[in-house]
Amino acid sequence: MSQASTGVATGEVSPKLGYAATLLVAALWMVPFLWMLVAAFNPESIGAGMASLVPSYIPTLANFREAWASADFPRYGLNTTIISLGILAVQVVTITLAGYAFARLEFPGRTLCFYLFLLQLMLAPVVLIVPNLTTIARLGLYDTLLGVMAPYFVSAFGTFLMRQAFRAIPRELEDAALIDGAGVFQRIGFIYLPLARPSLVAFSIVSVTAHWNEFLWPLMVINSPDLRPLTVGLASFTRGAEGAQAWGVIAAGTLLVSAPLLLAFALFQRAFVNSFVSSGIK
Amino acid sequence: MTTTRRTLLAGAALAASFALSPAFAQGQTEIELFFPVPVDGQLARDMATLLKEFNEKNPSIKATPVYTGSYDETLIKTRAAMKAGKPPAAVIMSANFLLDLKIEGEIQPMDALIKADGKTNDQFMGQFFDALHGNAVLDRQVYGVPFHNSTPLLYVNTDHLKEAGLDPDKLPANWEELVTTAKKLTRRDGDRVTRWGMMMPSNYDYGGWILQALTHSNGGQWFNVDYGGEVYYDTPSMLGALTFWSDLVSKHKVHPAGVQAGGAVSSAFLSGQASMMLLSTGSLTHIRTNAKFPYKVAFVPKNVKNEVPIGGASLVIPTGVEGERRKAAWTLINWMTSPEKSGWWSRATGYFAPNKAAYDTAEMKAFIEKNPDAGIAVSQLAFAKPWFATYRTVPVRKAIEDELAAVLSAKKTPKEALVAAQKQADEIMRPYVEQTALKLPTN
Repeated sequence: MSQASTGVATGEVSPKLGYAATLLVAALWMVPFLWMLVAAFNPESIGAGMASLVPSYIPTLANFREAWASADFPRYGLNTTIISLGILAVQVVTITLAGYAFARLEFPGRTLCFYLFLLQLMLAPVVLIVPNLTTIARLGLYDTLLGVMAPYFVSAFGTFLMRQAFRAIPRELEDAALIDGAGVFQRIGFIYLPLARPSLVAFSIVSVTAHWNEFLWPLMVINSPDLRPLTVGLASFTRGAEGAQAWGVIAAGTLLVSAPLLLAFALFQRAFVNSFVSSGIK
Repeated sequence: MTTTRRTLLAGAALAASFALSPAFAQGQTEIELFFPVPVDGQLARDMATLLKEFNEKNPSIKATPVYTGSYDETLIKTRAAMKAGKPPAAVIMSANFLLDLKIEGEIQPMDALIKADGKTNDQFMGQFFDALHGNAVLDRQVYGVPFHNSTPLLYVNTDHLKEAGLDPDKLPANWEELVTTAKKLTRRDGDRVTRWGMMMPSNYDYGGWILQALTHSNGGQWFNVDYGGEVYYDTPSMLGALTFWSDLVSKHKVHPAGVQAGGAVSSAFLSGQASMMLLSTGSLTHIRTNAKFPYKVAFVPKNVKNEVPIGGASLVIPTGVEGERRKAAWTLINWMTSPEKSGWWSRATGYFAPNKAAYDTAEMKAFIEKNPDAGIAVSQLAFAKPWFATYRTVPVRKAIEDELAAVLSAKKTPKEALVAAQKQADEIMRPYVEQTALKLPTN
């Protein structure tokens, strides 16, 4: 393993070639985004010029006006924010404690427990829609934001990530704290958490992005128009069964929905990338 | 089991509160209407407007429109909500899901409600076009009230016809004419096609429906109208239909290869990159408002006979909706399907107004006068047959749509595809077939 990685570092693959390949892939990934940007400001939703990647028009905000009028974006945005951040807040607590338990506490059946936990990762979320919804309804959480959030309060992926991060931290640090008389929560709070920060940040990004973009589950739980998150609100005017679609408005609406995440990424880009590098998620 | 018991309990609680507090009688009945959005932005707002008006006119009822995604997602959401013990009071459901929902006992017949209004089932259904009865009346019981309906329609860019030296008053009426016209309309730049003569949507839900239209035009059946456990995928009439579609792609090269989504087809037509298309009447308003060129619509070209399936959606009441909520749902359903409202919705969307009397209103007469294309769509209803509906309609439909995609991408021949689709569909429907058609007396 280490042999191979040093090989790459010393230039078995020409850096220039790698760079060019990266740029090419990046350009490919950019195309849909660029098209969305071009289409969003395009005064024509339909026509020969509509499909062009190169803008050939006087930009207009009409699409944004229509998208804005089509859905209550501030309210949907607030709902999405509550859902994404609310889930994350609880997750941070649960995955830290569970991760610590699996990494450092000795208890009978620990390994079995952990594998059962990991098994969750193999389940497609769609399979759980009906049982989850039944549980949510019994708890009286049907058609509430809490109902959207509840199934995600515990994350198998997050627990796994935190366990790995905690195991990489030298046990001696904890032992030293133990001698100084630190309790469990003090040890987690002052030793483990600060050292596992990159993993936590990386997980936060994955979690927030996933729940920001989620469509099917909120669609199942939420009935009241006031509680719709952005994805459901946006879909209510972009998805047609038999009808046709106004691409300009869809592009503008999609831009409005994704803007907060894009903006956050632009602002915290360095921190994001660093956390992924040091947490080992690729 | 638990649902039933819980519903009973809820019913008892409701009855108790009714008896205890007379004030409850004046209280509002809160109901939800699940609806998929059949068309774009404006219509989602129109639906909100429609229900707002209903609530103002019926102060004792508070109906909330709940957006539920596509037709397929609406089915998932409705089923999930019912299993969770929270059935919505009414749902706008894709018309071909009704049989499956009835088999599973998930929707209730409306016969008692119709009777309470002093009508017979025949009198009640008599207000709707005959072609729509097949997907609404099951075993002589009314399970759905048609709300908006469609058939596939041939859309033609008449500017392109003129350019190609063809008569814009003579649109292709049969498959042969369709092929020759599409060939003349297709523009090539070397090997590259710059304009397609013909396009048909083949994405999930849409593809099966269009293929059904071609099958019917070829004299075929697709499914057993009277029995939910049989589809006729591996039959000559279906083979002819699928081969025709496949030939347009691979042999005549007048139709793009691969899966084409409905939105992509209409966009190609509107941008002049496709000269003809088969699309739902539900898209009429969108095409009318956005086409910057003269266009005409015609019946789906026939090979053997003029025949198309209906599409669209009906209003249903799930099982477990009882008492005041059921009554309120019925009030809402009748209001939404009245001549005035269904006419209004039809003008806004392009879907038919299923209520025949809608076409007698002054607004509708003026509208058809101004937009003859909407009139042609209605006259095709005389040649319409029910939409395919079986036990587990969605997977049975998907079985052939996956194969359709393989054929359009030239990965399979039509015959191979149909054999595979038939096998898979039979497999899916087997439990039902064994419990019904094959359940014979043993002694």
